[in-house]
Amino acid sequence: MSEALVTKLVEATHEVFETMVFQTLDQGEPLPDAQGAPKSNVVGTVGFAGSASGLVAFYSTLDAAKAITGAMLGMEPGEVNGEIPDAIGEITNMIAGSFRTKMATEGDAWAISVPTVTMGSDFYIKPFSNGRRILLPFRMNDNDVYVELILTKQR
Amino acid sequence: MRFLVVDDSSTMRRIVINTLNKLGQHECLEAGNGREGLEKLQQGPVDMIITDWNMPEMTGIEFIRAVRGMDGFASVPVLMVTTNAAKDDIVEALRAGVNNYVVKPFTPDTIKEKIDAVLTAK
Ligand SMILES: [Mg+2]
Repeated sequence: MSEALVTKLVEATHEVFETMVFQTLDQGEPLPDAQGAPKSNVVGTVGFAGSASGLVAFYSTLDAAKAITGAMLGMEPGEVNGEIPDAIGEITNMIAGSFRTKMATEGDAWAISVPTVTMGSDFYIKPFSNGRRILLPFRMNDNDVYVELILTKQR
Repeated sequence: MRFLVVDDSSTMRRIVINTLNKLGQHECLEAGNGREGLEKLQQGPVDMIITDWNMPEMTGIEFIRAVRGMDGFASVPVLMVTTNAAKDDIVEALRAGVNNYVVKPFTPDTIKEKIDAVLTAK
C-alpha cells in the first residue's frame, strides 16, 4: 500500500477530530492486513471508486461514539442517544471525503458513497479475498478508535 | 431572514442551524437531500441556501442547477458545505451556481465567518 494513502488518511482523521470533535488523537502503530480486529460496537463505512477503489471504515465503542456525538452537537455524552448513527456516519463521511480531496492532489480521482453505519455487539468487516487492508489505531482520551483502509483496486 | 439548510446528515444540519442561531437567525427550513430541498422552495422564497454536496437521491450540485433554473431563485446566495475540495470540484460547484464554499471539516469560526460574509454581501 502506498505511503501517501496512509499519510493522507491519517491527516484527514486528525483534522476531522481536531475541528469537529475538539479532540486531539494519539496515533498508534498501523496494523497491516487486519492483524488485530478492533473492539467496536459502532462501525461507519464509506466506499470510494475511481483510479483506486475500496472502503474507509471507522470503528468505535459505544462510549467513544457517545463522546464524539456529544462533542459535535454540544451535548453531554449522557444525553446522547438516537443521534449516534448519524453523527458517526458524518464523521466517516468527513474522514473519507477529506482523504479523497487530499488524494486528488496526488493525481487520484474518486467518487465516494454516502455513509453506512452499523451498530451492535463486537464485529469486524470480514476479510476481502482480493483486498489489502491497513488498520490505523488512535487513542481519544480513554477510548480507542480505529480507521481502516481496505483497497480492492490500486492505481 | 429565511434559510434553507440541505444535508443528509441531521448532525451537520444541527451544527449549521446552531451557527445560524448564534448569528441571530432563527428561521431555518431543513431538507435531507436535493429533492426535499426543491419541495421546501415550492413553499416560498428564502434569503440563503446552505447545502451539502454528497447526498442520496439528489446531490447538492443537481439541486443547485435546478434552483438556478427556477423563477425567482437565480440570485439567491448559495453556500456549499462539503468535503469535496479538489480543484475540479470547486470549478464544478461554481459552474452549477454556488456562490461560496466551506470545506468540511471546518472550525466553528470558519463556518460563522463564511455565513456572515455571504449575508454581508447581500
Ligand atoms: Mg452528506
